[in-house]
Amino acid sequence: MSISEQPDDQGPEKPGTPDGNPDMNSPAAPVGRRSERNPLALVVVAMIAAAMLYFGFHMARRAGSEPSAFMGKSTVAPDFKLETLDGKDMRLSDLRGKAVLLNFWATWCGPCKIETPWLVELQKEYGAQGLQVIGVAMDDSGKDDIQKFAKDMGVNYPVLLGKEAVGEAYGGVPALPESFFIGRNGKIVERIIGLKGRGDIEDAIKKALNTESGSAPSTANADLPSPK
Amino acid sequence: MRRDQRNALGVFALLAATCFAQVPKAPSVSMAPVGAVTAQRTKQTTVELDFRVASGFHINSNTPKSEFLIPTSLKMDPPTDIVLGKIHYPAGKDLTFPFSPEEKLNVYSGDFTIKLAVHPLSSVVPGKYAMRGTLRYQACDNAQCFPPKTLPVNFDVKVVKEKSQGRRNPAQSPHVHN
Repeated sequence: MSISEQPDDQGPEKPGTPDGNPDMNSPAAPVGRRSERNPLALVVVAMIAAAMLYFGFHMARRAGSEPSAFMGKSTVAPDFKLETLDGKDMRLSDLRGKAVLLNFWATWCGPCKIETPWLVELQKEYGAQGLQVIGVAMDDSGKDDIQKFAKDMGVNYPVLLGKEAVGEAYGGVPALPESFFIGRNGKIVERIIGLKGRGDIEDAIKKALNTESGSAPSTANADLPSPK
Repeated sequence: MRRDQRNALGVFALLAATCFAQVPKAPSVSMAPVGAVTAQRTKQTTVELDFRVASGFHINSNTPKSEFLIPTSLKMDPPTDIVLGKIHYPAGKDLTFPFSPEEKLNVYSGDFTIKLAVHPLSSVVPGKYAMRGTLRYQACDNAQCFPPKTLPVNFDVKVVKEKSQGRRNPAQSPHVHN
C-alpha cells in the first residue's frame, strides 16, 4: 500500500511502547510494511525537494529578465500623471502613437548611471522614428538632486518625479533600473529588469517601434494610480 | 497522521523552507550579536560591530566615489552622559560593473566591522545602558540597486566605576609629638 492510499483519519493515536517505539502489535503499523514505506516516503520527499530547489534557483535566475505574469507582454501600460522637472504634468496616455521607453531609475543607482548615457544616445538615434524615452525618478531625495543628475548626464528626454503608486502599478519596481518598452498601441512589448547591454535595450526599442498604432482597450486607465 | 508520514512531512517542510531561504528576494545586511561591553567611567572603550552583507550583494562604503551614491552610515542615540567617540568605518573595496569598467564604486561586501568608541562621563551611575541606533545602507548586485534601508543597531554597555588609583596615606608631618 502506498502512502497515498492510507486513510487520513487514523483515529486516536495509539500509545507507543515504553522505549518510545510505536506499538508493534497495532494492525495499523505492521513491521514489514513500515520498513517498505519509509524508503519510498524519503525518495518522494527527496525528489520533491530536488525539484523545488531546481525550480527555485531557476526562477531566481529568470527573475532578472522575464516579465512577470502580472506585468507581462501585451499588457496595456497603466496610465499615470506625474510632474516633470519643469513643474508640468505629463500623462503616459499623451504619448499614444509613439513607442515609449519608460525607465524607472534613481540618482543613487549605480547601474542607472551607466545606462543613462545609452538612453540619451538612443533617444537621439530613434527619436525621429517615434521613440520617446521617459525617465521616472524614484528618489526620496529632492528635485534639485534629480535635476543636477539629469543635467550632469546630459539627459535629453523628460524626467518625471516618481510616486510609489506608479511603481506599484508597474509591478512594484523593487529594484532599479527597470524599463518598460511600450508599443505605439499602448501595450507593453518588453520589460528589462536591471542593467543589461545597450544592444538588449536597442532590440526592445525596435520591437516597440515596430508595433502598429491602434486604439487602446477601454480598460487602459483601469489601473491608473491616484497620485499621492 | 502516522508517525512516518509526520516525519516525512517534517523533512519536506524543512527542505522546502531551506529551498526558499536560499533564494533571497532582496538583499539583507545583518548584525552579529555584540558581546558584553564593559566601559569604565571617564575612559574610552571601543566597541566592534560586525555586519554581514548577504552573498551576491554589496553596499556602498562610507566613502562612495560619487556624490549621488548613499554612503553606509551608523547613527547612534546614546543615553545622556555616555559620549560617542569617532565612528571608524573600514575601507571599502573598489568595484566596477561589467558593462562599465571605468565607473568605479567603493563598497562593502561579505563581512565588515565598524568600530565605535563609547565614553561614559563621571556623572553616569554605574549600571547597564541600552545603546540604540541604526545603520543606513543602500545595496546593489551586479545589475540592479535596491532602495535604501535601515538596520536597527542595539547593544548594551555596562558602565562601571573608574578604577581607584591606589590611595596613599597622606604625607605625615615629620614633626614628632611627644
